[in-house]
Amino acid sequence: MENIASLMHGFGVALTMHHVLLMMLGVLLGILVGVLPGLGAPNGVTLLMPLTFSMDPISAIILLTSMYWGALFGGSTTSILFNIPGEPSSVATTFDGHPMAKQGRATEALTYAFLSAGFGALVGVVLITVLSSWVAKFALRFSSPEFFAVYFLAFASFIGLGGSSPFKTVISIMLGFAFTAVGMDTVSGSLRLTYGIDELIRGISFLVAVIGLFGIGELLLTMEEGLRFDGVKARVSPRKVFATLLTLPRYWLTLLRSAAIGCWMGITPGGPTAASFMSYGLAKRFARRRDGFGKGREEGVIAPETADHAAGSSAILPMLALGIPGSATAAVMMGGLMIWGLTPGPMLFIEQKDFVWGLIASMYLGNVVAVVLVLATVPLFAAILRVPFAIIGPVILVICVSGAYTVAGASFDLWLVLIFGVVGYVFKKLDYPIAPMVLAMVLGDKAEDAFRQSAIMSGGDLSIFWSNGLVATIMALGVLLLVWPLLSLIVQRLRPSRDVGATTA
Amino acid sequence: MMMKKALMAATALVAALGISAAEAAWKPSKPVEFVVTSGPGGGTDQFARTVQAIITKHNLLDQPVVVVNKGGGSGAEGFVYGKTAAGEPHKVIFATNNEWLLPLVAKLAFKPDDLTPVAAMAVDEFLLWVPGDSPHQDAKSFIEAAKAAPGKMKIGGSQSKDTDHILVKQIEKAAGIKVTYVPFKSGGEAATQLAGGHVDANTNNPAENLGQWKAGGVRPLCVFAPDRMAKGEPVVDGKGWADIPTCKEAGVPLEHYQMPRTVFLPGDVPQEAVAFYVDLLKQVREKPEWQEYITRTSQSNRFFAGEDFQTFIRNNEDEGRAVIAAEGWLVN
Amino acid sequence: MSTNERSLVSRFAMEVATGCATLAAGVVVVLGALEYEIGWDEGGPQPGYFPFYVGLIIIAASLGVLGQAFLNHRRSREAFITREGFARVMAFFLPLAAFTVGSYVLGLYVGTFVYLAGVMIFQGGYRWPFALAVAGGITGFFFVLFERWFQVPLLKGPLETLFGIY
Repeated sequence: MENIASLMHGFGVALTMHHVLLMMLGVLLGILVGVLPGLGAPNGVTLLMPLTFSMDPISAIILLTSMYWGALFGGSTTSILFNIPGEPSSVATTFDGHPMAKQGRATEALTYAFLSAGFGALVGVVLITVLSSWVAKFALRFSSPEFFAVYFLAFASFIGLGGSSPFKTVISIMLGFAFTAVGMDTVSGSLRLTYGIDELIRGISFLVAVIGLFGIGELLLTMEEGLRFDGVKARVSPRKVFATLLTLPRYWLTLLRSAAIGCWMGITPGGPTAASFMSYGLAKRFARRRDGFGKGREEGVIAPETADHAAGSSAILPMLALGIPGSATAAVMMGGLMIWGLTPGPMLFIEQKDFVWGLIASMYLGNVVAVVLVLATVPLFAAILRVPFAIIGPVILVICVSGAYTVAGASFDLWLVLIFGVVGYVFKKLDYPIAPMVLAMVLGDKAEDAFRQSAIMSGGDLSIFWSNGLVATIMALGVLLLVWPLLSLIVQRLRPSRDVGATTA
Repeated sequence: MMMKKALMAATALVAALGISAAEAAWKPSKPVEFVVTSGPGGGTDQFARTVQAIITKHNLLDQPVVVVNKGGGSGAEGFVYGKTAAGEPHKVIFATNNEWLLPLVAKLAFKPDDLTPVAAMAVDEFLLWVPGDSPHQDAKSFIEAAKAAPGKMKIGGSQSKDTDHILVKQIEKAAGIKVTYVPFKSGGEAATQLAGGHVDANTNNPAENLGQWKAGGVRPLCVFAPDRMAKGEPVVDGKGWADIPTCKEAGVPLEHYQMPRTVFLPGDVPQEAVAFYVDLLKQVREKPEWQEYITRTSQSNRFFAGEDFQTFIRNNEDEGRAVIAAEGWLVN
Repeated sequence: MSTNERSLVSRFAMEVATGCATLAAGVVVVLGALEYEIGWDEGGPQPGYFPFYVGLIIIAASLGVLGQAFLNHRRSREAFITREGFARVMAFFLPLAAFTVGSYVLGLYVGTFVYLAGVMIFQGGYRWPFALAVAGGITGFFFVLFERWFQVPLLKGPLETLFGIY
C-alpha cells in the first residue's frame, strides 16, 4: 500500500507537459535507433547523455528510459517487415512475425507485437511497483549456481526435437557454443580459440552473427525465389489494427505465461533476449496445435514480444536496487545515474524517493506513449515497402553492413557478416535450424562462466547445483522441460500402437 | 579540367594548413576518438566519459570528442586497436594498469611500449570488504579465520589474472593464508555476490561497493594504502572513508596497491601532441566537475605525466610481474 | 525430370560439402581447445574443457549428417539450386561482395555511394542523374546520422582524408 501511495506521488512528479514531451522525443529517437540493426539503445543513450547533464535527474532519466522503450519497439518492426532484428531481443519475433508479413498480414503481426509488448511492459512495471523491495531481496539470493540453473532452464525450454535431423540441431547448437567461447575467458583470464588472430580477441559478436544469419541470409533466399517483399505491401488501416486488438484477449494464456517468464528472466538477470526465446519455446510446447509455428502463428509473435518487454522493464529494478546492469543500456544509464550524483543501490529507494517513483510512474506513461507512437509509425514503414526493390533492397543491405560495423567499430566484422550471411542462406536451405545457434551464442559464455564459478566455489563438487531449494527447483524444472518432448513422444508412440492393436484384434 | 584545378587548389590548401599547424604547437585537426578499454558502465568508461563531458562542457577543444568502447578481451581489443593506429594522435586510449599487466598474462600481439604514455589522472584504492552480517569486525579476525581454514574462504573479484586477482595473491603471501578466488565479470557483480553472502570477502574499489555499504549489505575492513583515505562526508552511521584503517595498521603488510586511471596515445606520435594532451588533461583537472568525480568515486586525485608516469609504470609493472611470475601466469 | 536438367548443384553435393565444412570447424575448435588444459582440477573444468567437447560433438554430429546424406542419396535427386536461382542469387551477392571489399578499402561512405548508385543504374535501370542523387542523398543522411547525431564513427578511407572531411 505504501508503494501505491508513492506511485501516486510519482505520477504527480512525472505527469507534466514538459515530461510528456520528453517522453515523446525519447520514444521517437528510440524507434530510430531500434530500427537500425547494430545501433541500439546504448548508442541513443550515449547521444543523449551529454544533453541530460543540464537537466534535473528525473527529466533526464525519463528521456533515457523512454528512448529505451522506443528502441525495444522499433526492433520488432524491422524483425517483422524485413526479418532483420533491429535489437538482439527481437530475434525470436522474426520466427513467426516475418512469415506473417510475407502472407500479407504485416499489420496484424505489428499490432500483435506492439500490443503484447505493451502488455508485457506494463506487467513488468506493476511487478516493480508492488514488489520492489521483495524482488530486490530475492535477487540477492542468486549466485552462480542459480544463474547457471536459470540459463539451463531457458535453454531447456527452447530446445526441442525439431522437424529436421537431430544431428543438424546439435551442430547448430554446438557451433553457437564454439563461437561464444572465442575471446577472453573470464574464469581463467586466457584468450581462447583466437588462433593468434588479433581480430578475434573481442570475440564473435552475437549481433554481427544475427545480422548476417537473419538479415543477409533472408535477402539471399528472397532473391533466389525471385520474390520481392510480396504481400508485405498490404496496406495499414486503422480498422485492421482495431480488429486485431479485439482478438488479442483470445491469447490470454500466452500473454500471461509470457509475461511471467519475462518478469522472471528480468529479475534473475537472464535478460530480455533469453526471455523471448524461452517464451517462444514454451508457447510452442504448450500450444494445442503444434503445427504452424515458424510459418506465421499469432502466438509466435505474442509470446516473445510479451516476454521481451516484461523482462526489459523488470530488469530496470535490479539496476536501481542492486546496481547490476541487466543490459548494456542499463550499464550506460547507470553510468549516467552516477554522473548525476546518484548511487544505484538499495539506498536509492530510500534516499531518492522522488527520483525512483517518478521514474517508475514514467515507465507506465512511457509505455503507453510508446505503443501509440509506434502504431502511428506503421504506415511510414509500410510506405518504405512501396519503394522499388532495386532501391530498398540495397539500402537494407547497406544498413545491415554498416550496422555490423557499428557493433564494434571493426572492419573485420564486414567479412564476418558476409560469411554469416552465406552460412545463414546455406543452413536455411539445408534445414539446419538457426535459432538454437543464436540462443547458444546468447547464453553460452554466461552459462559456462556460471558453471565454472560454481565449481570454484564448491571446490569442484557438482552437488552445488542442488545444494539449496532455489537452485534445485530451477534445475528440476529445466530437466523436466528437457525430457518433456521425449516423454510426450513416448506417450504418443504408445497410444496409437494400442489403437492399432485394438483394431486388428 | 575545372574539377582538376579545384582539386589541386584544395590539396595545396590542405598542405599549406598542415605546414602552418605543424610549425605552431600541435592541435587536433579532426574529431578526437576516446578509446575506452572497458565495456560501457565500467570504471574506465566512467573515467573517459567524465573527461569527455568536462571537455565538451567547457569547450576545451575545437573538435568534437567521440567515445568508443573497445573492451573486448579485458581491454586487449582497445590496446591492439591503439597499436594499429600508430602515428595517429587523434585517438586517445583510456586504461588502467592493465596496459602493462595484461600483456604479461595473455598472449597478445601487443607490448606495453606500443603505446605512448600520456598521464595518470587519478589513483583508485582497493579495500577489503566483507558482508554486512559477517562475524569479522576487523581485518585481523578475518585473517585468523582464513588461517584456521585454508582454502575455505572465498574472495570474489572482477576478472581473472587481473588487478583483483593479483591483489588477492599478494594478500595470501603477505598474511600467509590460502583462499579461493572467484572471478566475476565485473566489480558490480562482485559487490552483489558479497552482499548476498555468496562469497566471504571482495577487494572492490570504493565506488563499486558504495551503494551496498550505504545499505548495510557490505562493510569495509581495511584499505590497501600507506595512509588512510581522504576525509569526506560520513557514509553510514557517522562513519566515513577516513575511518577505515589501513591494512598495514590491521596487520596485513600491503600498502602499495592502487589502480591508476591512465591515458595513452598510439605509438610514433609527435612529442607536441603528447604535450598538448598533457596540457588538456591538466585543464580538465582544474574544473569543479573533476573534483566532483574524484569525491564521488573516492579516488585519490594524483597526476603523473612524463618521467614521473614512466617511473610509476616501471614500479607497478615490476610488482605485478613478481606476483604473476610466482603464480606461473607469465605467457612469454 | 525437368528440375534435374536445370539443377546446378544437387542437394546431396551441398549436404556433403556442408557436412565436411562443419567437420573441419569441429577439428579447428578441438585444436584451439588443446592449447589449454582440457581436464578438471580442484576448481572444476579447465579453460579448454568445454570447447574441447563442443568440438568433438561437432565432429560426431557432422559424421552423422554425412552418413544420413549418403543413406538418403539413392532416394533423393533433389536440387540444391537451379541455374536460374543461382543467377539471381549471384546478381545480388556479387555486388554485395564487391561492396564489402570496396568498403574495406575505401571506407563505408564511399562504398555505400558507389554500391547504391551502381546497383540502381545497372540492375534497376534508373537513369544516372537520379541514381546519383538518391545514392548521394542516402549516403549523406547516413553520414549525418552516424557521425553527427550518434557520434558512431563508421569506417573511413583515403578519400575522406583527401578531402579533409575527416
